[in-house]
Amino acid sequence: MLHYWLEFEESIGKVWDKYLNRKVHKFHEEQRVHFTDISKSLNIFHHLMGGEKGKDLQVTDKRYVDTSRTALQKLSFLGKEFFLTWQDDDSIYLPASFAYFPTKEENEMLYYWLIAMSVHTNVTDKNLIEQNQKAMHYLTNKYSGFEKFYFNASEYLISKYEQLGFIKSLDEKTDEDLINDYPNPMWIYPSALTINAANNLNESDEDLTREEDKDESDVLEMKKQANQIDDKHETDGFLAFLPESLMSIFEQVNVDRMEDDTFDENALYHAEDLDEITIGQKQANLSSRIKMDFDLQPDKTLMYPIGKGHYIDEWDYLKNDYLINYVRILPQVNTNIIPIELPSRLKKTVRKIQAELDLLKLDRIKNDNLPYGDEINIDSWIEYSSHQNKSMHHQKFYTTFEKKTRDMATLILADVSLSTESGITQEVRIIDVIKDSLIVFSEALEKLQDKFAIYTFSSLQNKKVYFTIIKNFKNKYDDLIRGRIDSIKPEYYTRMGAAIRESAKILDKQQSANKLLLIISDGKPNDEDRYDGRYGIEDTKKAIQEVKKKGITPFCITVDLDAKEYLSYLFGRDGFAVVRDGQKLPKVLTEVYINLTK
Amino acid sequence: MSKTYYLAQSNEVELFKAAAEMDLPVLIKGPTGCGKTRFIEAMGEELGRDVYTVVCHDDLSAADLVGRHLIDENGTYWQDGPLTKAVRNGGICYLDEIIEARKDTTVVLHSLADYRRVLPIDRTGEVIQAHPDFMLVVSYNPGYQNVLKGMKPSTKQRFISLTFNYPKAEIEKEVLLKESDVDDATAQKLVDIAGEIRQLTDTDIQEAVSTRLLIYAGKLISKGFDPYQACMHSIVESLSDEEDVLEVLEKLISLHFEKNSNV
Ligand SMILES: Nc1ncnc2c1ncn2[C@@H]1O[C@H](COP(=O)(O)OP(=O)(O)OP(=O)(O)O)[C@@H](O)[C@H]1O
Ligand SMILES: [Mg+2]
Repeated sequence: MLHYWLEFEESIGKVWDKYLNRKVHKFHEEQRVHFTDISKSLNIFHHLMGGEKGKDLQVTDKRYVDTSRTALQKLSFLGKEFFLTWQDDDSIYLPASFAYFPTKEENEMLYYWLIAMSVHTNVTDKNLIEQNQKAMHYLTNKYSGFEKFYFNASEYLISKYEQLGFIKSLDEKTDEDLINDYPNPMWIYPSALTINAANNLNESDEDLTREEDKDESDVLEMKKQANQIDDKHETDGFLAFLPESLMSIFEQVNVDRMEDDTFDENALYHAEDLDEITIGQKQANLSSRIKMDFDLQPDKTLMYPIGKGHYIDEWDYLKNDYLINYVRILPQVNTNIIPIELPSRLKKTVRKIQAELDLLKLDRIKNDNLPYGDEINIDSWIEYSSHQNKSMHHQKFYTTFEKKTRDMATLILADVSLSTESGITQEVRIIDVIKDSLIVFSEALEKLQDKFAIYTFSSLQNKKVYFTIIKNFKNKYDDLIRGRIDSIKPEYYTRMGAAIRESAKILDKQQSANKLLLIISDGKPNDEDRYDGRYGIEDTKKAIQEVKKKGITPFCITVDLDAKEYLSYLFGRDGFAVVRDGQKLPKVLTEVYINLTK
Repeated sequence: MSKTYYLAQSNEVELFKAAAEMDLPVLIKGPTGCGKTRFIEAMGEELGRDVYTVVCHDDLSAADLVGRHLIDENGTYWQDGPLTKAVRNGGICYLDEIIEARKDTTVVLHSLADYRRVLPIDRTGEVIQAHPDFMLVVSYNPGYQNVLKGMKPSTKQRFISLTFNYPKAEIEKEVLLKESDVDDATAQKLVDIAGEIRQLTDTDIQEAVSTRLLIYAGKLISKGFDPYQACMHSIVESLSDEEDVLEVLEKLISLHFEKNSNV
């Protein structure tokens, strides 16, 4: 008995010692590199390495790893918490910062290394060694830069952490050994889910608790997964916010119910659907914000309906026919507006873009063969000299340069559905960059003297498609319009087809030779009903076809990074642009427009 | 003159020859620097026809294509434009970046591009029947910048279309070896780099790296330039002005070619 105890004591001492050692001496705080500072670069690098475009990069939470050797040690919780790198279908999860190495470059390189590793591994608890070794060999063979880094870095780590000695003698180890061993910071680990699945086999008591909620819904399943990963720190990462987000979604469902009598299981079903998108950081943002907005009475703005609304058709791909007068369009305008000046945060961007426009010299066009004008056109004169019968010649020798009228009419249709509430960063929401974009863009169009109108839309099934006027073609762009843009609030869903048809009607009435329908969106068409899926995609595609038939060019700009597939289906390969860095939307939108129209 | 080097990417050579034989005009689509010009030059040699190249822009007038009157000591005389020369004497008239030209400029092509094969010249009143060896080839680079401009369907549908892209890795490597004299390992690395950069979508980067840029890099390297520096100057800096993109591309290059701190 005593013998055991001593051994126990001793190992506690050892571990504690090492722990302190590590904390105090081994990290290079000055050289620490944070994920958030380089996440943009890492995202591009992920694509460079051939990683799936749809995958996000995120910060991981700590995971508990049972590093203890003996049963007794296990009982005494000698395991530790570690930040491991792992991935699932949605994301790659990386530690929030690194300071293992004595230089910033190396700590940063560790991130790049891990991104490259994760593209080339598919780790489960059964192939941990094999997968990591294979990827390591591949990368060090192909990239001399990685080769150098890897060998220097592993030397260094081994010299500092004797527990990592196994890196050198992997042949004697099994996957099981290593999953619960001191983790190698340069490896990719299986997702928490697969590890726990394995552990459940030997730990029956845990199994019991799991049994109970077996038949609960997927939502709980997710919560469970999250808890396994989460180390109960309330704020960082994952699903600590799940209950709150669930609440807000139910609140939202309730709101919908008040407005609309068709509440049924369907709505519940959608609540779960929505829930699916609450995993991950961005959505954490979304959910808490939804809640906030509901707290702040949504009806502060005074929307004034314009007429009773009217009905338009929708395409049903299953019937292969239009549903006549199926969708109700409710045009409206916000009447409670405080006019604002150009916000100072945008002044720099606006100035820059206007300078670019000056350089374009879009404005001069040459007119030949005039009886009088600025310059003699030498071509016409020579032609005259060689003409057999000079009296028959038109004798118009002059050229003038005129200000070019671009003869463009552009309708900007902005998606302001609830999903635009979600964050690009902690502070900035998609809706904010959309609003900024509309302002910057309007300034540019003013400068170009191009005709334009701005509308926003959101929908509650086919019963209510709100079509809000920000600026029509006749309105002058001024402080009031800026105020209207500023007052835009996200609400409801995205019935895109209906909004597109309504916009096309307006554009169709314009006299300009070139008509552009510019759609700004953050995701797929969707709504509470079957619009969320193939039906909505097909209707939108049909609407786009109608637009083209009217001689209007549709173009979509989106901040949805996974968007490529459905967008090329809807708009054609060259009919859209995806903005990688949402915060650049104001600039990119204007540049795309200039490119489109020059 | 030595023969122009061109390595076929797929069946474009046969298609082009067939089109030439059948008197059909050809439309070539493809990104910048993928070998379009080189291809036409090589085909011209192969078929024994001169190539008249015109790079289109929005100030290009019909007279620039067809010809105009000029003055000398004896008064005025008529000077054929490149298009007219090719039509009269036989040859390939290659209009690069056709959609940059205004539509009223390109209407002169219509009667040349169908079975009639005639070129009417308003200013001299002449109507020229095209030489049997005359061939019209136009090219453009499709991309979102060009959706509004596009080509009129009535113009487009007069052509046989060839779509070019950057060559497959093995072919590109061979081109690189031949054109720039780099060693095999370096060529492989350059091709790897290109492959990786081309995986970026237009959300990350506007233009992908072209074969032309790879050749530049290769030439610099075989001249004895430090490979890392060569790639930075020929590939990275030409592709983007955005700082975060530049940073990552630099990282990528440094993984392939060691960065010498003393350069
Ligand atoms: N298949 C090929 N065979 C031989 N050389 C090639 C081939 N493809 C590309 N090249 C090389 O790439 C270089 C660039 O090609 P080229 O000038 O034909 O591009 P392009 O498509 O005409 O570009 P742009 O649209 O910018 O005019 C050529 O100088 C040549 O060295
Ligand atoms: Mg060319």
